[in-house]
Amino acid sequence: MKFKRGSVNDEIPTASMADIAFLLIIYFMVTTTFAATRGIDFSLPQDDDSPLVDKEESVLIEVQPGGVLLVDTKPMQLDQILEYLKPKLERNPMKPVIIRSHEMAEYGFMVGVFDELRQAPDKIGLEVKNVSIPTQREIDMFWY
Amino acid sequence: MKLLVRSVQNQGIPTASMADIAFLLIIFFMVTINFEVDKTQVFLPKTDIRLEIPKKAAYISITESGQIRVSGGEEISVPVHPEDVLSFAADVVARDPAKPFVLKADTNVPYRYVDRVIDSLKQAKAQVIYLLSEQETVDSAASGG
Repeated sequence: MKFKRGSVNDEIPTASMADIAFLLIIYFMVTTTFAATRGIDFSLPQDDDSPLVDKEESVLIEVQPGGVLLVDTKPMQLDQILEYLKPKLERNPMKPVIIRSHEMAEYGFMVGVFDELRQAPDKIGLEVKNVSIPTQREIDMFWY
Repeated sequence: MKLLVRSVQNQGIPTASMADIAFLLIIFFMVTINFEVDKTQVFLPKTDIRLEIPKKAAYISITESGQIRVSGGEEISVPVHPEDVLSFAADVVARDPAKPFVLKADTNVPYRYVDRVIDSLKQAKAQVIYLLSEQETVDSAASGG
């Protein structure tokens, strides 16, 4: 009686490898999110003994609801702030600038003001080095 | 005598290198994939200055309605009461004093919600806050927001 010896294919089947690879590509393409992981940095004061910013000596930028800006109580457009600050910074490069937002003002307008101040080196050739954003608690405690 | 030898042309598209290209693409996606730390959907404010945020930063997100979620750097964020932000921040700072915080707040959220969070971070002695933003476009710059 004859027994037939079955031939075994000793190669790894790779026919479906491309299909699997493309499925993986589709998975990565769908799940990859180009997250917005950029923003403006803002260093917080670390020292409790840091000198208090004198309101009279500083420039006060008030952000009102609706994006209305008052700079030293004068209404001003966002793109006018740096021109207003320029002569003051030329006289005193450490001129303190305080950003104070109304509790109902939209957060985006405060960020817009901060962004504008950070662009000072490009726009007026001077850096606004001393920006403070006091919180309501600090205002209640230290504002005079 | 044979005068004409018709050359046989292969009409199939060569696909031998397709798998190689596919695997190169897979490697590209695997290397560049960036798992979002916090998936809270907010409309971010637009800014021109945009710095790269360090990986593994702690996230605090505030929605337009003032709901707050926090994440110590993990993918999953958890909702917290505004008064609990301070204890969260203090815990994060106690583990790593130099840990940066990312504030992911909706552009239209009333500032009082943001003010409370910033105040909690100040009290917790956080060193740096990153205000998460989107790229300013010409249209948005012209409209002032």
